Amino acid sequence: MVYAVFAPLIFAIIIPFLSRIKHKVHTGWLILPVPLLIFIYFLQFVGSDFETARQTIDWIPSLNIALDFYLDGLSLLFALLISGIGTLVVLYSIYYLNKEEQLGHFYTYLYIFMSSMLGVVLSDNVFVLYTFWEFTSLSSFLLIGYWHYREKSRYGALKSMLITVLGGFSLLGGVILLTIETGTTSIRGMIEQADLIVNSDYFLFILIFLLLGAFTKSAQFPFHIWLPDAMEAPTPVSAYLHSATMVKAGIYLMARFSPIFSEVPLFFIILSIFGLVTLAWASYMAVRQTDLKGSLAFSTISQLGMIMAMLGFGTSYAVFAAVFHILNHATFKGSLFMVAGIVDHETGSRDIRKLGGLMTFMPISATLAIFGTFSMAGVPLPFLNGFYSKEMFFESALDLGGYSGAFIESLITAIPIIAVVGSIFTFVYSMYLFFGTFRGEYKESELPKKPHEAPFMMLVPPMLLVIGVMVIGLFPNMFNQALITHSADAVYGDEVAKDIKFWHGWDSPAFQMSLIVVAAGILLYLTKNKWHHIYRVIPGRFNFNRVYDWMVEKIESVSNRITTAYMTGSLRLYMILILTAIITITAGAILISDGFNFEVQDLAPITAPEVIVASIMAIAAIGTTVARNRIAAILILGVVGYGLAILFVMYSAPDLALTQLIIETVTVVLFLLCFYHLPNLTTNNNSIVHKGTNVLVSIGYGVLMLVIGVTAYNSRFADTISNFFMENTYELGGGHNAVNVILVDFRGIDTLFEVAVLFGAALGIFAMIKLRQDKGAK
Amino acid sequence: MNNLAILPIILPLLASVIVAFIPSKLNIVRKLSQALMVIFLIIVGYIAWLVYHNGVIVTQGGGWDAPFGISIVADYLSILLVLTTYIIATAAVFYAPHSLSDQQEKFYFYTFYFLLISGVSGAFLTGDLFNLFVFFEVLLMASYGLIVLGNGKAQLRESLKYVLVNLFSSMLFVTTIAFIYSLVGTVNMAHIAERVEAIPAEQQGIITGIGVLLFFVFAVKAAIFPLYYWLPNSYVVPNPVISALFGALLTKIGIYSIFRVYTLIFVHDTAFTHQQLFIWLAIFTMLFGVIGALSTNNVKLIVTYNIIPAIGFILMGIGLYSEDGLAGSVYYLMHDMVVKAALFFLIGALVVAAGTKDLSKMSGVIQRFPLLGWLFFLGTIVLAGVPPFSGFIGKLLLLRGALSQEYFLLTIVALLSSLLILLSMIRIFIRGFWGEKMEGMTNDNRKVHALTIPAVFLLAISIFLGVGAEYVLPYVDTISTYLLDRTEYISAVLKG
Amino acid sequence: MEIIMIVLASILFTTGVYNLLQKQFLRIIIGTALISHGAHLFILTMGKLKRGAPPVEDYGVSNYADPLPQALILTSIVISFGVTSFLLVLAYRTYKLNNTDNMEKLRGLNNE
Repeated sequence: MVYAVFAPLIFAIIIPFLSRIKHKVHTGWLILPVPLLIFIYFLQFVGSDFETARQTIDWIPSLNIALDFYLDGLSLLFALLISGIGTLVVLYSIYYLNKEEQLGHFYTYLYIFMSSMLGVVLSDNVFVLYTFWEFTSLSSFLLIGYWHYREKSRYGALKSMLITVLGGFSLLGGVILLTIETGTTSIRGMIEQADLIVNSDYFLFILIFLLLGAFTKSAQFPFHIWLPDAMEAPTPVSAYLHSATMVKAGIYLMARFSPIFSEVPLFFIILSIFGLVTLAWASYMAVRQTDLKGSLAFSTISQLGMIMAMLGFGTSYAVFAAVFHILNHATFKGSLFMVAGIVDHETGSRDIRKLGGLMTFMPISATLAIFGTFSMAGVPLPFLNGFYSKEMFFESALDLGGYSGAFIESLITAIPIIAVVGSIFTFVYSMYLFFGTFRGEYKESELPKKPHEAPFMMLVPPMLLVIGVMVIGLFPNMFNQALITHSADAVYGDEVAKDIKFWHGWDSPAFQMSLIVVAAGILLYLTKNKWHHIYRVIPGRFNFNRVYDWMVEKIESVSNRITTAYMTGSLRLYMILILTAIITITAGAILISDGFNFEVQDLAPITAPEVIVASIMAIAAIGTTVARNRIAAILILGVVGYGLAILFVMYSAPDLALTQLIIETVTVVLFLLCFYHLPNLTTNNNSIVHKGTNVLVSIGYGVLMLVIGVTAYNSRFADTISNFFMENTYELGGGHNAVNVILVDFRGIDTLFEVAVLFGAALGIFAMIKLRQDKGAK
Repeated sequence: MNNLAILPIILPLLASVIVAFIPSKLNIVRKLSQALMVIFLIIVGYIAWLVYHNGVIVTQGGGWDAPFGISIVADYLSILLVLTTYIIATAAVFYAPHSLSDQQEKFYFYTFYFLLISGVSGAFLTGDLFNLFVFFEVLLMASYGLIVLGNGKAQLRESLKYVLVNLFSSMLFVTTIAFIYSLVGTVNMAHIAERVEAIPAEQQGIITGIGVLLFFVFAVKAAIFPLYYWLPNSYVVPNPVISALFGALLTKIGIYSIFRVYTLIFVHDTAFTHQQLFIWLAIFTMLFGVIGALSTNNVKLIVTYNIIPAIGFILMGIGLYSEDGLAGSVYYLMHDMVVKAALFFLIGALVVAAGTKDLSKMSGVIQRFPLLGWLFFLGTIVLAGVPPFSGFIGKLLLLRGALSQEYFLLTIVALLSSLLILLSMIRIFIRGFWGEKMEGMTNDNRKVHALTIPAVFLLAISIFLGVGAEYVLPYVDTISTYLLDRTEYISAVLKG
Repeated sequence: MEIIMIVLASILFTTGVYNLLQKQFLRIIIGTALISHGAHLFILTMGKLKRGAPPVEDYGVSNYADPLPQALILTSIVISFGVTSFLLVLAYRTYKLNNTDNMEKLRGLNNE
């Protein structure tokens, strides 16, 4: 199983090399066997005697992350879809993309996706699942942006990435919470502890995080907006990722976790409401589309909504129907996308307004399309699998119970109605798609190319899918026992044995609903011209695309506005902001922790000479702020420095005094040298507010230091370590002057690196001066 | 008693002096620097190996027992970061000759470069608060020398602001050391920790205040909200290789220092300092950082702004102050150093390739430089924390820590800012690399290629840190346990 | 006496910060110099003032001033000197190249 998951990935890595070597053969042929073999491998498991399989490889045991692949009915269904449709899509793409395209890239992305998607459906470990999940988003991003020189491709790629990755991160939050709650990273382990999760304090967060992940991936309302734009991808991709597999990852996730949530009313409410709203809204939107693929995209969204709703219903029948529909949808929608691609390929247009009457030119495609669209519409014919699941959907919508509460009860009454309305539109756009494209008037002048039937091999993949549609329709129970039942069992957690029947009798309410849908659908379709202007008006200006565009656009402009508001390049502003933060937060911290201590103790006596020096220094310091003359200002600064040196003398620090004297002198000279050429000082003509802020901030800082200084001085908790130095300066350090001994011996590293600083400063100054001269010389 | 711990500081200092003597013999200097760095890297790797197998190595400067001398402490955390520093520096020394002009190289690039490494390693390794100040000055002096290299108008302008802000915070640092000395009469960190612990609880208020002050000293360097204003523009003006060194190393020193003092010394009131103050600051740092990254079309500035949210993530883990939180922070710190350096390298290559920094003037670069494009894409998803790469492991641990302590807002902000980080970077990919091939791309393919290669090395490490997390995680777990229990550090320094 | 010294250091800080917030290079750099003076004074004060003879070991003296802060100040003075010299030259060069000594005119955003 591990090989099955990673084989496409390994090929993805070697494809770029393959495509470089083999120019004569289309790369697709070389790698076609990969998904086919995987498909055959998974096919072995199918059968009524299905047993789960498991394979584990350690990866990061410290985080309980293991490549734990677990194959149950649900995984098997998906794995078959991924590899089976994958095979057909690769075959199809060989004819769809010609050799001049960058095929290496295309197949690399596609195979990365294939691996990741298999990983998603087979991983039992939530973090591994999440890893693959993100990779499906990324490969989808790359595939949508495959023709990246097109503006729309880039737009669609970014949109899909943002929305699906948002969901991915949310999913991550959800699974982390789940692991914290249950102490396990295994999904099965979590299901065993379902009670614990449901009764957890964080249940709501878990639910919302997971739902957001699933809804964004499976394009549920209102996150569906990325899917129509994802149609910029090459059609094989649309058929594969954006209808049959990737978009079902969200469905898969919900199905996978539904044993945990199935008893929770909130889960039922959210899933049913969002699912049905998605179904109804998207099927209505599909009718409005003029682009074949756009219409199919909305159709996919609405079908996903339907499956989501069925999972929400949570009854064994609904779950069964949901699983069944996953299979059915993949077959008929896959074939339809391929046919749409063929039409596009052979006529050069996907605009339904320009198409029409293609039946005569492309009879095979048209035949395939009939099966696809009618199955999608749920036309009651025994060889159309879409009808079966559609009818099961109605049945399950009618058979809801087990919940109480006014809201839920009214919801339960509303569900069948919304279901029917959504299905009517589904019927309408299905008809629209087929008749609009293949019947009606042929508009030669509108098409860039003269249409003709596609090469036979290109027709094979959709043909196989349509055969699937019919076989499932004719012999549903064959699939039921071998595959669907096992899947449904895995989701529902109990034995779900169902017989699929075509005929339920005239009095079956579900059948009556189907008839209503067909009747109303035909009516709406035939009178379609009258409705056109309504379609055009509603939903009018408001839609979620605008919200997305607005957000993406705003996020840049608002960020820009916020950032430029404070990143003005003004040092003064920066310093004021920094100082304000330091002052307020530090003062706040001291206040909160009650850290002041003004009990003055252990002071040296006050003597006149010191006070005089201190006063002179203070006056000089204030003097620097008002000095108008640069020489004066520098000299006043010198006064402060020399005053400090005198203080050092007074306080028994002769070494310091000497150093300070020398350095102060050199500094003053340097100041004078550097500022000799600079303009003189000017008076401040700033506003009062400006000055006031400066004064306030500087005094604030001074007071803060004062307060902390006094408190620190008064709070001595331990003796200084200096006595050691005095006692040992000669015995151990070999010198009498303790300061010197500390500098060169005890703390020699300080001094070494102090010299390094000077060394750096000297070279820096040299470089600054010299480099300019060299430039001048040039 | 083992003198090995001081080697990562002394060796580059020696190298810096040696290369200062022959500044204009560029060929020799280049080769010599590259050879030396590789040798140093191996030595540091060996020291790191020793630390992990034999425990903390403490070198007491001059042979004086702590707290009287200066202790150089190669513990699990510091040596790991020194190793990461050397890895990045090694990549940088191979990148430099292709990125810098001969003039810049001649004017002591390599001297400042080695001085910077010496200062950075010293700041990681020292166990003495005042000595930390000295190493800060060493690395700052080196960074001053590097940032003005080239003497451009804008460069000097931004350098001036950069120097002034740092000078201010250095002086605040000295003042804070004075306060601490007054309180506990020592400057050795382990000794301070021991003495602070002995202070009765009702008198610890002032310690909190001074701790917050010290936090701000480091926060200015680490570029934490609301103190990061100096960073973006001053990191943008110098050459990419210098930006890479700054972005990968300098801010990380600040956050490392917070790590050190707030796991060693100021742990008496974690409910306030860590779990209130740090968490809130982390939230704002993440938000304002990504907002900054989204605000500009200057590709280099985008990457520069992305330094800030990463610091927010690391601060978040310190704030959580739990096994998961600290382990996550350490992991994220390592990851971010490596991937930031790689991205700066790639952006440098992109600017050379496209001939402009302005994203709105770029397009289709990938068609000429596919390797550059794909590496950038990889770097982007690594940065955004997509599994199985390095960013994910750190993020996972951090989020697990945050959620198990019920910080929901923090979690949501962290996830959201991950998304926005991705958006800010993928914009470069979509607009700059994708699209129609632009006019005016460079013809110097070899140069772009040479600028791309060092990033390959760094990204390979990133991938290893993610996919091979199992090889690294046990060490990181050791670190977080070790940080939460201060006794090992204290006893290693004071009694070892 | 220590209180007076602390007050003096705080005044140095206040005036230093005030100067730092001005526009002209000279004032700003004077500001940084004042702040470092204040910091050094703080270290000295925190080591207790006037507690005896200079820390030079001598016979018959048992009371010395605290040598450690003095050593730290010495290191710090030298480092500040190095940085200040660098800063001065940097300011001079910036002035020459940008032709202004007004910090507020050196904002320069997104223009290169």
